[in-house]
Amino acid sequence: MSIFSDIEPFMLRAFAVAVVMGPLCALLGVFVTARRMAFFSDTIAHGALAGIGLGFLLGFEDPTWPMVLFSLLVAAAILWLKEHTDLLTDTIMALLLSGSVAFGIIVLSMLKNKRGELHRYLFGDILSVGPDDVWLAVVLCAAIGAWLFAKLSPLALLTASEDLAHVCGVRTRWLNYAFVLVLTVVISLSIRLLGIILVTSLVVIPPAAARNLARNLRQQLILSLIIGLFGGAVGTVASYHWDIPCGPAIVMACIAVFIGSLLASKLWLNRPVKAKAV
Amino acid sequence: MSVTHTTCSHSAADIAVSVRDLRVTLGGQAILRGVNMHLHRGQLVALIGPNGSGKTTLLRAMVGLQKPDSGEVRLFGESNLKKALPRVGYVPQRLALDRSFILSVREFLALRLRETQHWFWHRHRDTDDRLHAAMAELGAESLLDRPIAALSGGQLQRVLIVFALLKQPDLLLLDEPTAGVDSPGEQDFYETIAEVHRKHKLTVVLVSHDLSMVYRHASWVYALNGVVCCEGSPEHVMNADSLKEAYGLNVTPYHHHNHSHGPGGGHAQ
Repeated sequence: MSIFSDIEPFMLRAFAVAVVMGPLCALLGVFVTARRMAFFSDTIAHGALAGIGLGFLLGFEDPTWPMVLFSLLVAAAILWLKEHTDLLTDTIMALLLSGSVAFGIIVLSMLKNKRGELHRYLFGDILSVGPDDVWLAVVLCAAIGAWLFAKLSPLALLTASEDLAHVCGVRTRWLNYAFVLVLTVVISLSIRLLGIILVTSLVVIPPAAARNLARNLRQQLILSLIIGLFGGAVGTVASYHWDIPCGPAIVMACIAVFIGSLLASKLWLNRPVKAKAV
Repeated sequence: MSVTHTTCSHSAADIAVSVRDLRVTLGGQAILRGVNMHLHRGQLVALIGPNGSGKTTLLRAMVGLQKPDSGEVRLFGESNLKKALPRVGYVPQRLALDRSFILSVREFLALRLRETQHWFWHRHRDTDDRLHAAMAELGAESLLDRPIAALSGGQLQRVLIVFALLKQPDLLLLDEPTAGVDSPGEQDFYETIAEVHRKHKLTVVLVSHDLSMVYRHASWVYALNGVVCCEGSPEHVMNADSLKEAYGLNVTPYHHHNHSHGPGGGHAQ
């Protein structure tokens, strides 16, 4: 009690969200990076800006739900356009990303009392994590974490080959949709902490650092989870102590681990970071 | 286009795969235009035909990966393919694996066994023994701890065959299994498939461009070009007239009985 009594409640809330969302993003990130979906994550994160603008416009004090819903809408739009047009996936995502950002900024600039919110959502704000956010993060993370653990094998098979997964009895279409849904919810809920611009880094950097050290997927999943936890915890503590923005602090903590893992793989493990075909 | 075939008397229970008037259109182009075939149990069936003749599409339709416009596929008499899939092993042409995906061969194979609820934390000794034995059968046990994305074409094909065989299927479907395998490796590979066919008493369906290998190992051959142009024993199908009908050009198969590749002919790409 004495340890926590000196710490501001907002700091504890931010810490709680960071140590829950960090590992979850990192775990999802192993599949996101292997399935080349990093830009997809970035697009749905930017889609949240339009949701935030729309939420404020509709009179929401807390735009969390409009933000999650708009990100889901952007994710659905990507999937629909991919299936029903001949446009390249990158083109579709660039279109939706810039469209969402433009819409969000226009709406926020129209709402004169909400202009300050733009900076807060773009770069994340430790002060904006309320008690409700902590509960939402903990409950959702428990549910999504349980789902993810139950679906690790089908997800690994789906990532290796959709065709093989189908022949092995995996309902590939549903699993793909469920993965996108889960990723979208986790990304949009992490925005409070990391901000729209940096949120993808929590999905990309821990798996990349883990990849440098791991010999198989099991090791990469475990290491990625630990690095996500470490980044979230160290980043929020550093943010509090040195009065620096929370999102960048978490990202820099993860980057430090990445550099360490790269050096370790080159110098001590004597292992090529790039796998070579024999 | 006339269909020539030699007859083969079997009862309905002997049919492993039955395809009836299968039609598939892809990108506005009719790829399969009414394919009919009955593959009998225990046969090593080869599907041959030029590029774009619908061999891969047909194989994908057999496992439900390609939805037909019309027609029907039955596996072991079952029209609901999902129900029949546990009896099927499938080897795709290639895996588009990202190099950053560090799934090891051991982990990949364990995914097939579905004894993988615990693989995130533990390795099971029984599973390990089973995987080791399965890999040893194809002479690939040394690959178990390698990342699957770092394997060569030939090594990956062996791993994919082990994956397909792990659940002791009754039907093994191979889509151009030697794509990306060098020439000596290719010959070895067909020997392995023939050995697997003999040992496991499976029905094998093989898409191939290598006519000399088909001639040597297949028990039944379908020449495909949107429809079945010709079916029968290799000796019957692989005469110049039948191949001309399937490939639309003069292909002279090189029927050799030794272990070397014939010059020129014998390959139709």
